[in-house]
Amino acid sequence: MNKNWRWLPAGIVPAVIVAASVSGTAVAEAQPQLPAKTAQELLEFVATSTDDAYSGTVEQSSNLGLPDVGMATPSGGTSSNDPTSLALELLTGEHTARVFVDGPDRARVQVLDELAQRDVIVNSTDAWSYDSATNEVRHAALPDKDAAKAELEARLQQKVADHPELQDLPRTPAELAELFLTEIDPSTEVAVDGTSRVADRSAYELRLTPEDPATLIGTISVSIDSETGVPLGVAVQAKGQEDAAFDAAFSDVDFSAPDATIFDFTPPPGATVIEAPTVDEARALVDGKDSDLPAVPTAKPTVIGEGWSTIVELPAGSASLMGIAPGSGEAGMGEIMEIKPGMDPEQVAGAQALLEQALTDVDGGRALQTSLASVLITDDGRILMGAVGIDQLVAAARQ
Amino acid sequence: MPAESVSTRPSRSGGSLGLTLVLSEITVLFRRLRTWAMIGALALIPILIAVVVRVSSDTSGSGRGPAFLNSITQNGLFVSLTALTVAIPLFLPLTIGVVAGDTIAGEANLGTLRYLLVAPAGRIRLLLVKYAGAALFCFVATLTVVVTGAIIGALLFPVGPVTLLSGDTVGIGGYFVRLLLLALYVTVSLLGLSAIGLFISTLTTIPVGAMAATAALAAVAQILGALPQLEWLHPWLFTNYWLGFADLLREPIVWTSFADNALLQLGYIAVFGALAYGRFSTRDVLS
Amino acid sequence: MSTTDFAIRTRGLTKVFGRQAAVGGIDLAVPRGTVFGFLGPNGSGKTTTIRMLLGLATATSGEIDLLDGEMPRDARAVLPRVGALVEGPAIYPFLSGRANLRRFDAADRHTSPSTRTARVDAALERVGLGHAANKRAHAYSLGMKQRLGIANALLAPRDLLILDEPTNGLDPQGTREVRHLIRSLSDDGTTIFVSSHLLAEVEQMCSMIAVMSAGRLVAQGTLDELRDEGTARVRITTPDPLEARRVLLGLGLAPEVHGRDDVVTAQLSVPGLLPETVNTALVRAEVRVRGFEASGASLEDRFVALTGEGFDVAG
Ligand SMILES: Nc1ncnc2c1ncn2[C@@H]1O[C@H](COP(=O)(O)OP(=O)(O)OP(=O)(O)O)[C@@H](O)[C@H]1O
Ligand SMILES: [Mg+2]
Repeated sequence: MNKNWRWLPAGIVPAVIVAASVSGTAVAEAQPQLPAKTAQELLEFVATSTDDAYSGTVEQSSNLGLPDVGMATPSGGTSSNDPTSLALELLTGEHTARVFVDGPDRARVQVLDELAQRDVIVNSTDAWSYDSATNEVRHAALPDKDAAKAELEARLQQKVADHPELQDLPRTPAELAELFLTEIDPSTEVAVDGTSRVADRSAYELRLTPEDPATLIGTISVSIDSETGVPLGVAVQAKGQEDAAFDAAFSDVDFSAPDATIFDFTPPPGATVIEAPTVDEARALVDGKDSDLPAVPTAKPTVIGEGWSTIVELPAGSASLMGIAPGSGEAGMGEIMEIKPGMDPEQVAGAQALLEQALTDVDGGRALQTSLASVLITDDGRILMGAVGIDQLVAAARQ
Repeated sequence: MPAESVSTRPSRSGGSLGLTLVLSEITVLFRRLRTWAMIGALALIPILIAVVVRVSSDTSGSGRGPAFLNSITQNGLFVSLTALTVAIPLFLPLTIGVVAGDTIAGEANLGTLRYLLVAPAGRIRLLLVKYAGAALFCFVATLTVVVTGAIIGALLFPVGPVTLLSGDTVGIGGYFVRLLLLALYVTVSLLGLSAIGLFISTLTTIPVGAMAATAALAAVAQILGALPQLEWLHPWLFTNYWLGFADLLREPIVWTSFADNALLQLGYIAVFGALAYGRFSTRDVLS
Repeated sequence: MSTTDFAIRTRGLTKVFGRQAAVGGIDLAVPRGTVFGFLGPNGSGKTTTIRMLLGLATATSGEIDLLDGEMPRDARAVLPRVGALVEGPAIYPFLSGRANLRRFDAADRHTSPSTRTARVDAALERVGLGHAANKRAHAYSLGMKQRLGIANALLAPRDLLILDEPTNGLDPQGTREVRHLIRSLSDDGTTIFVSSHLLAEVEQMCSMIAVMSAGRLVAQGTLDELRDEGTARVRITTPDPLEARRVLLGLGLAPEVHGRDDVVTAQLSVPGLLPETVNTALVRAEVRVRGFEASGASLEDRFVALTGEGFDVAG
């Protein structure tokens, strides 16, 4: 009369599921056997890697110790064009992007948001961007391949230099790895840290450890595909933090040429198309000096220190140029953020609250501290930033 | 008891596959006024959205409101998508909760459960048939929202090629294929909840209790899914991929969420199916 | 008799709810081909026993043989041959009577869908619901629902019918119909197990009975066997009731009190004491006897004797 065995499946099934998921992770985390390579060999492998054509999915997550913007902004409104909340959004939480690359001329990046998507398409003749939330298309005609490439590059460089935190799209792991690998200098310990599996491929783990005690960066791990030498993932760990503060890696990757139609784009009917000025038009605009742009401060950014603890100082006036009021302590948050007509008041309030939380009053200004970098806005309108603690920034500002 | 005498069973006939019971289950489900009331309520969602957008014709609220709302005036086919987005968090789980929570508890409450079992329907077979009925309702409910949306949208607004999230456009034919995939995705999304409802339904003879508990669990799972502090838990919540249907509106289609969702729901079906089996096959039917 | 001569056989069948033994170790033996009455006051465990026989409830302990199988192990093989009415009918109120029956018939995977319509109609005709077959069942009266429940038990040819209070709620015609039905089914060779607390009914229909009381089987056998075990009674009409009572007490009997003061009754509870002996004793004591009546054991007396006098339900 004992029927208790009928409960057996109810015990076994969850056990099997847990076992399967654990062993699944174990398989994923198992270190593949690969021929040994020295750090130097790996660096050369990366340098000579060929990644002409591939497609894949990149998962990026940031854990910089900032409040999560996703909580404060209403759902469906995350893909806002407001730069402050966009930056905050990309610096917090997780993002997934699909990347299609075919040679140097053709690429498409799709940032997959919930119920929305942002696309950037570059092919040999045009550059397009599309935001499904606003139904806006931006278009730039690329008259000349090389010129266009150079211009795009320049614009990208410019943008990165100006606002390192204000990137519209997560970069590809390859680009990110390059960024960090160029930083290698004698103050960095470079070591091969075994192997791993990334995007279902076996990879070498290269670990960079800054020996500079001042920097906030603990280690940087780069996963390098064992077959192609293409970096598949980058993880940055802050000192004293267990989880990666920043992590970007392919979750799947395919080293074959993507379908050519992916790089075609026609603006959808009903979309607002914003034409970017051509290179010539832009030049004419700048040369004509008839713009009502605020005067660009003549002083150049100053670089203080070197290596990992480098501090960049933007001269006085930079803060107001970027729409940030020099911290007088009493400045309303509306002054710190750029509020444009038509912006969702809820979103503005959310972002304001976040900034309020994030910015702390310090000696001589207001500062933002993340686990990897700090930003100081001095009372006299200078902006200092670097991968160091606020104390160092304050000290640098006094000099 | 002599073993050979057991073998003198009545000869088996056509219905031994259990198909007749499935048909009977579907008939009973769709002969209920309650089922049609719920389907009608679901059909009302796209109608309401389309009519309100049409009447107010005020497009200033750009970027606000549910996803795809702003595209409706340009293309009536978006009504289906807006309606789905609205229906998924609340209305669909509610109706699924009613149907899944009623499966066993409703029969127990009517007392008909004892006659089904004495017939004999077989307890495992009855569970499977009941689950199949609930799953079919998931599909019908989703399809109701999608199809009503497409029809009302076509009636009130211009229709034409549809813009996908990636900015590419597909023709109406391609769009309808995607809508069907969408309905399939949402149906699959709701299968885990149906399994939970089936299990809860075996616990009680009060169908309202089982319905409320099932619908409440759907709400709880969504609340937990919104808390970033519980990030580790999110991939295990049956609601985790509910809004991932948008991945079918990208070009090329992202299939990973479809596959992940199917796997997750399968896990829920396995766990709660096993629990329902454990409970129902050992339970005394005393109502 | 071998096991297979019994349609139902239980050994030590027990069902405990919490701490209360609703059924406490009963040994039922229902021979094939009989109409077997299952008697017992409210709450004595009849329905609980039937639930266990049909595999709806698991016995706490004990064994059940049903037809050629063991319950609940062989439920799939045995139950298609058993028609049942358990604790009244149950219906889908939003379906017609006919659709209700089709539903229950579909649940049995052994029945043929091709003959379903014919079998359902035949069952409805048999219980006199032919004209109300397309009416929504929620509009059925209590008796109509009861008839539908009986029709459900008759959907297929059965070897055993287990009917829990089948005449509950039926009008006199309905009750008679059911009696006829049971008789004719029994003539066809079907074993019928009827639970009831209506003695007269059981007396009319059954050849064998079992009596339950507070979860125990207190008697089991043919009607005559049970009657014979019963005690006879005497009823004396006399203008000297006090004298008569004294004589009865002297014989070791327990005279009962009545509303009428010229009547004295008593059970002949002393073994070997015959009615004529009582009469002789009364005459000797010069009690003026106006009327003297000696009756054999009635089933009712036997029933009350077995299950107790009180009106309160046990448990
Ligand atoms: N679900 C239950 N939980 C607890 N006790 C129960 C349950 N069902 C029945 N009982 C108890 O079991 C005992 C027998 O009940 P049962 O229904 O078998 O009586 P019955 O002989 O069919 O009575 P009636 O003539 O009124 O139909 C009763 O004391 C009742 O209280
Ligand atoms: Mg009863």
